[in-house]
Amino acid sequence: MTKSVLYRVGLPTLVGISIIGLWQLMSALGAINPIMIPSPWDISVGFSELVTRGYFWQATWVTLQETLYGFAIGVSLGLIIGALTGTFPMFRTAIYPFVIAFQNTPRVALAPIFLTWFGFGITSKVVMAAVICFFPVVINTVAGMASVGDNAKMLFRSLGASRAQMFFRLTLPGASAVAFAGIKTALTLALLGAIVAEFVGGSVGLGVLIKELNFQLEVAKGFAVVLFLAVIGLVLYGLIELLERFLITWKHD
Amino acid sequence: MSVNYNNTAAGETISLAAVSKTYMTAKGPLPVLRDIDLEVKAGEFVSFVGPSGCGKSTLLKIIAGLVSYDTGNVSVGGEAPREGREDIGFMLQQSVLMPWLNVSKNVELPFAISGRRDGNTAKRVADLLELVSLTPVAKLNPWELSGGMQQRVALARALALDPGIMLMDEPFSALDEFKREFLNIEVAQMADKLGKTTLLVTHSIGEAVLMSDRIIALGANPGRVVGDIKVDLERPRRADMVGSDRYQQLSNEVRAALASDLEGEKQ
Ligand SMILES: Nc1ncnc2c1ncn2[C@@H]1O[C@H](COP(=O)(O)OP(=O)(O)O)[C@@H](O)[C@H]1O
Ligand SMILES: [Mg+2]
Repeated sequence: MTKSVLYRVGLPTLVGISIIGLWQLMSALGAINPIMIPSPWDISVGFSELVTRGYFWQATWVTLQETLYGFAIGVSLGLIIGALTGTFPMFRTAIYPFVIAFQNTPRVALAPIFLTWFGFGITSKVVMAAVICFFPVVINTVAGMASVGDNAKMLFRSLGASRAQMFFRLTLPGASAVAFAGIKTALTLALLGAIVAEFVGGSVGLGVLIKELNFQLEVAKGFAVVLFLAVIGLVLYGLIELLERFLITWKHD
Repeated sequence: MSVNYNNTAAGETISLAAVSKTYMTAKGPLPVLRDIDLEVKAGEFVSFVGPSGCGKSTLLKIIAGLVSYDTGNVSVGGEAPREGREDIGFMLQQSVLMPWLNVSKNVELPFAISGRRDGNTAKRVADLLELVSLTPVAKLNPWELSGGMQQRVALARALALDPGIMLMDEPFSALDEFKREFLNIEVAQMADKLGKTTLLVTHSIGEAVLMSDRIIALGANPGRVVGDIKVDLERPRRADMVGSDRYQQLSNEVRAALASDLEGEKQ
């Protein structure tokens, strides 16, 4: 808080530039094998070449679609199942053990199965992304609903609130902050799920592109795509944080 | 200031006859109240003191219709208790404010839930905030207020639908001594002016003496009435009464009633 902007922004910038500089220097001196780790300069050149190609942007578009469709489906289902679990004790008893069990299995292992079920197209990636981001949403929604205090429920009862009023005026806003944390995690996971599914089998997409570039020993371009994915991830996260700030304007713990 | 104390709903009577309550817990039945007899007059201010776990909160919840009772008879304003009655205002130890609503929206909540929001609501909310001296912070968020101010918001909310009965469950116990005494006096004077029947649960004997017309001392395991002390300090109550002889005598009477029960327990 008290540290200046110059300090907070300047210091990490300085560290970043130093690392890239050192990396470039080592590459130029031949201390790093360019087949393993290409130099920053080569990566930039590779990237500037990629952005002129239609297939690069097509791959980006496909991966984004997979991510966002998967995210939308996974989050919607997660919110619905989470709300049911948090509302009906019987539903919770019946379903929740499976949610927890499934949450703790490595879900990316399902990617090959989805490939055989849904084929090389976009569907198998959307499903993978949805499945992987479903769980944090369910778990955070349930936790958020559980965090609504007994005193608040008591107060609403004493005011004669109906079930619907209880849900819309207390449970929903009360759970939303915690649930949203799950939604944020889900977005990062959706991108991960889409890329993994593309690795396992696909015809278009940034994951597919990374694999192909590696086979062709275009390592610099492969690195460029990875860094580009990092930027996509950051931008998506920034957008969802903006949405959160817009929706959840109050302070919570 | 310009707050209108007239035209508020009159206090209602409350009567309990031989009321008992046992909670069914995982460890078996837990009797919490036994044979409670109590007559509260309209407009009376009655405090309940007693060791924690003696069923004070349960008693208020029974009156508010939030918890059922096993045997006996309860009549609140001439009717059986029922949850969600607009003639009862409930105030808890925590202020339980909704962080997504600002101060005046929190006070407005009872109007919104009861479907009684109309053209006069804004004026009524403004009056309530005036009554508890919160007009300047009406647009602030709950977490921007001190604990004492948060409890005032809860008080205004409990008064919102102009109930004949106020139930207060340790509403001041989370506050520091100074704020507490200040609010004690304020609430006691307000209760005088508004003429509402008020039941207050408190840990503090001093607070009970300072505020009430009558103090019910409860013994534990199970909870039952072990003392019924009339407080004859003049009204309106003032902070300087805390030093008076009568105040001390009354405090000692309450203490003695509570102690006699503990003595009995040892044997
Ligand atoms: N809903 C409940 N189910 C089971 N036991 C309860 C419940 N509510 C309170 N109790 C128990 O009943 C006893 C009296 O509780 P309470 O009325 O809150 O006492 P007090 O307010 O005097 O501290 C305590 O032992 C408490 O643990
Ligand atoms: Mg209690």
